[in-house]
Amino acid sequence: MSLSTGFLRGMAMLTTAVALVVFVGGSLLEAQPKAAPAKLDAAGLAKVIDKAVNAKLAAEKLTPSGRCDDAEFLRRVYLDLVGKVPTAEQASRFLASTDADKRAKLVDELLASPDYGVHLTDLWTSLMLPRNSDNRRLVPEPLVQWLVKQFNENKPWDKLVTEMLTATGTQEENPAVTYFLANNTADKMTDSVGKIFMGLQLQCAQCHPHPFTEWTQKQYWETAAFFLRVQTGNLNQAAKNGTSPGVQELAKMKQGKNALPESAKIVPPKALDGTVPTVKGTEPLRPHLAGWLCTPENRFFSKALVNRVWAQLFARGFVNPIDDIRDENEPSHPDLFTTVSAQFAANGFDLKYLYKAICLSETYQRTSKPNDSNRGSDPTLLARMNIKSLSPEQLYDSFQVVLGSERAQGKRPAVVAPQRGGPQGGKAGFVNFFNLDENWDPMEFQAGIPQVLRLMNSAQMNNPARAQEITKAAKSPTEAVEALYLTALSRKPTEVETQRALAHVKTVGDSRQAYADLLWVLVNTSEFALNR
Amino acid sequence: MQNLLPNGLTRRDALRLAAAGVGGACLSGWMNVVATAAANTAAKPKSCILLWMDGGPSHKDTFDLKPGTKDAGEFSPIQTSVPGIEVSEHFAATAKFMHHGAILRGMNTSEGAHPRAKFNMHTGYREGVGGVVYPSIGSIVSAELGRPEFPLPNFVTIGNRSYGAGFLGAKHQPLNVANATAGVENLKAFVSGSSFDNRVGLLQEMEKAFYGEYRADAGQDHSTTYARAVELMKSKEAKAFDLAQEKTETRTAYGETAFGNGVLLARRLVEVGVPFVEVTLGGWDTHQDNWTRVKANSLQVDKALSSLLGDLKDRGLLDTTLVIWMGEFGRTPKINARGAKPGRDHYPRAWSSVMFGGGIPGGQVIGKTDKEGAEVVERKINALDFMATVCTILGVDYTKQNQTPNGRPIRIVDKGEKVIKELVG
Repeated sequence: MSLSTGFLRGMAMLTTAVALVVFVGGSLLEAQPKAAPAKLDAAGLAKVIDKAVNAKLAAEKLTPSGRCDDAEFLRRVYLDLVGKVPTAEQASRFLASTDADKRAKLVDELLASPDYGVHLTDLWTSLMLPRNSDNRRLVPEPLVQWLVKQFNENKPWDKLVTEMLTATGTQEENPAVTYFLANNTADKMTDSVGKIFMGLQLQCAQCHPHPFTEWTQKQYWETAAFFLRVQTGNLNQAAKNGTSPGVQELAKMKQGKNALPESAKIVPPKALDGTVPTVKGTEPLRPHLAGWLCTPENRFFSKALVNRVWAQLFARGFVNPIDDIRDENEPSHPDLFTTVSAQFAANGFDLKYLYKAICLSETYQRTSKPNDSNRGSDPTLLARMNIKSLSPEQLYDSFQVVLGSERAQGKRPAVVAPQRGGPQGGKAGFVNFFNLDENWDPMEFQAGIPQVLRLMNSAQMNNPARAQEITKAAKSPTEAVEALYLTALSRKPTEVETQRALAHVKTVGDSRQAYADLLWVLVNTSEFALNR
Repeated sequence: MQNLLPNGLTRRDALRLAAAGVGGACLSGWMNVVATAAANTAAKPKSCILLWMDGGPSHKDTFDLKPGTKDAGEFSPIQTSVPGIEVSEHFAATAKFMHHGAILRGMNTSEGAHPRAKFNMHTGYREGVGGVVYPSIGSIVSAELGRPEFPLPNFVTIGNRSYGAGFLGAKHQPLNVANATAGVENLKAFVSGSSFDNRVGLLQEMEKAFYGEYRADAGQDHSTTYARAVELMKSKEAKAFDLAQEKTETRTAYGETAFGNGVLLARRLVEVGVPFVEVTLGGWDTHQDNWTRVKANSLQVDKALSSLLGDLKDRGLLDTTLVIWMGEFGRTPKINARGAKPGRDHYPRAWSSVMFGGGIPGGQVIGKTDKEGAEVVERKINALDFMATVCTILGVDYTKQNQTPNGRPIRIVDKGEKVIKELVG
């Protein structure tokens, strides 16, 4: 006996209605909707994003800025998805293309590029591996290589985090253990997992009731209890003996004089929402934490990631500071935040899906130029795209593209002053030289005078041969100027800029010198150092 | 959340003040940008030179000798310019300035591992606690006493890169001079002067155009920082970094060592108004061969430090320049005879640091250790007490709260401090 189609349709509508009602009424405190939300594909989610953002702008009587032009989009999406600017050839190709779908296709192309994995690994390792004196002998490479692979293969976020949280074995066997090697006490593990994967500032509660949130000191140590039996290998010894340090969970709590900080309370493990794990015998505890955290129903997991990705692309999260998601910290778009988080979970915690959905949206593709209505408006409202400073990693990788690799130039990587336990050359040395706090604000320019001196006066940034190389195919000074702009800024010069550049060529007389000058100027501009 | 500077200015406001006259349409006259800033009529702040003795100098073999006791060691004490205060024989020249100084023999801290102890003594906080990267005292002084329009960075480290600004951000990171004789890396333009000026002129135009279109605060920050860097390159103050300007006799007096040159450079920087300079001398971690190494180091310090104090005094700068000699802890009262050449191991329970100048009432000893130099029996001084005292001497309000980017208020020096009243006059 079959049910009437009318009845079925009615049921479907009712289910959707229920789901919508629970969506709209949902807040951080209420349980996730029991009815599974209708799954949206990336394009569908992009439309939902635009609807919500535009509705709020209308409510605030703000007129959004218009669509960004192709040159803005090109450089922005390259920096956001693969962490570096396009080559002149890639830029020309995109700008010249008349394919109506070229932007969407570029997003797909970049998400499929191996550099996507490199860029995401840069972002996540800077969070996961704190630069402190305990880590001066930490060898990050195994984790870096492994993470690049995971991101490029688009391993679902819940599986990836589970693997990292439960990692066991030597670093050689299981590179994911590097995370624990770098955060080698129960309190460091708790603080890190809280911030990075839950969006929670737990660390204040280590010693006293958290002044701003609901977390008690007992709850802090109930979370830390999941890590109390984790033993991490000694990095100094491993370095000395040439062995691979490891991580394991012992049958009993770590003993020893300095095993725990003074503030430690020994309590049975319990999740932050009160869930008590059913632990058999002395089996490892971390899988229980991972099993509780990395699910669609967990109230922290999906939101923590979505907030980070939103902030990565827009310079501000739904909630700010981005790892401080609590009730008193009102999200900019509460319902949209819930929806995007739910869709991320419903789509199998697929990171590339999330990036694609956001990059396809009109909101993402807005120009950063303000108009009279939205100048000075709250950046979280996204009336225009927010301008972001390039990270030191993005700067370095972009210089490699624009100026040629340091190795290709036959130069040794620039020598950096001896850093406490840190690397000196190459990308790691460059990043170390900027020495940014992990919570740096991308809407502020982050270099100080020493960094700017290096950008202006170091050998790497003053390579006349490179300007020659860029302009050698040019048949006229005008073509040469265009080649320089396409290489350095990923766009063609305006008429005014071309005339100005040609005037400079004329004044200097020597075209080699003039082109070197132009290249230097272009890579030292705000436009280069900022992602507009 | 913005870090609030004194007088309620935000960082961004301070930058805009420093770039007064630089606005949307008016980015002309970069060379004058910093000079035309609202004239700062505040008095020049005090300066601090921190002579960082990396590794933990043995107190019983430098400033707290225990002659005639079991593990007294090989050195003898000598008189100083202050009757009743004695120091190691290898600080003979510095001893003549004792009436300008104070020995803190009651240092009593709790970190015995190098990295944690160094961090603690530079910041007053324990590394990693609370998930925050705390700023070192140099960055704090840069933030609190540094003048925004000053063409040089307000915090310079010579030799070791030391500890940075943590959550205080990029503006208060130290400028590091790895090698005092070589000077500041990248301070000179790569191309000829006129070529560089041409480039800067073109750059200026592009910056103006970009700001006109996008109105980005970050773009303005960018322009301002570049303006300051160019200003530094062309400033007369930058000549302070050029040791070749000093007479040979002076360079010899300070000792032609990396450390000696570093201390001389520190003097020059303080002369032009840098409020915090840190110079490192390593090699104090004398688990083995204690006396040979401590003697060599002490003589190096003695030459440089006594020359520094003499020069500061001659230039009328001693009262406004606090000179600190210290490491991260002391060394064991008992001699360890593990190896062929005996030494001493880490010891934070009782040790010594020394201060000169800065307007402190000189000729004092604060704190006293027992017969063996093992326990502090009078006036324990911990890291908080020390930092709070240094701040007070320099004129920094250590109770002030800075905000981390997460909006968490952090006092410059944590509660529980006891300022050493005898040193703040």
